Amino acid sequence: MSVAADPFEDQLLPLLGSAYHTALRLTRNPADAEDLVQEAALLASRGFRSFQTGTNFKAWFYRILTNAYFSKYRQQRRRGPSVSLDDTPELFLFGQAAALGMLSQSEDPAGDLVGKLDAEQVTEAVDRLPEEYRVVATLYFINDMTYQDIASALEIPIGTVRSRLHRGRRMLQRSLWQLAQDHGIGQ
Amino acid sequence: MTEPHRFTCDDVFRRLDDYLDRELSDAEMRLVALHLDTCAQCAAEHRFESRVLDSIKGKLGQIKAPDLLLKRISKALDEARKNPE
Repeated sequence: MSVAADPFEDQLLPLLGSAYHTALRLTRNPADAEDLVQEAALLASRGFRSFQTGTNFKAWFYRILTNAYFSKYRQQRRRGPSVSLDDTPELFLFGQAAALGMLSQSEDPAGDLVGKLDAEQVTEAVDRLPEEYRVVATLYFINDMTYQDIASALEIPIGTVRSRLHRGRRMLQRSLWQLAQDHGIGQ
Repeated sequence: MTEPHRFTCDDVFRRLDDYLDRELSDAEMRLVALHLDTCAQCAAEHRFESRVLDSIKGKLGQIKAPDLLLKRISKALDEARKNPE
């Protein structure tokens, strides 16, 4: 890749790794993820004149990327399995660990549950989230974005980010628990 | 309105996610931390949830964008610069 020669590329290039990772979790397909990142980069390049210097480039770029995703993949959005929308209680994994007596038997019960799952299984759990939760969770877990940055990227109220993220995390805990049980962890 | 001097277990329970994400006000962050210092049950819940979040972030890790993609994007940006719409 050529050396960044302008303010746009100076800001874009460091984001491309996490942008690809984000796109991969959104599209769940490497070829689609590559196309999405390239499309977002081109759209951002064309729209860079509208970017206000001094504001959050990362949130601005991810707004373009997620809009491109919603626009391009709207027809395919319901594909794939997803976890139940039934409310999962707060502290779901903690409750399961307590029920199994793991809290008194282990110094690191969370590590005994989630730490023993491999990266592929955790990725699968994220992929199982319904789309609106998966998008928020992806920006949070992969990009380490604040609630405000996610709200800005998705153009939704910060309260919506908070509720989707909290509920998404509970659903994620339920998925992780199912995966842990499938693999004989915590039994 | 004056801040309460102490949070109850229920106050902390309702704020645990925001506390883990450092999305509370400074005053609330301090009140939650103060409670966690003195309540073993809430501290255990906090430790557990924090560890779960760290494990998920660690497992998801970082993925490097394919070199070919970076080249494709670089080329596309070059062409877009030469042929602005």
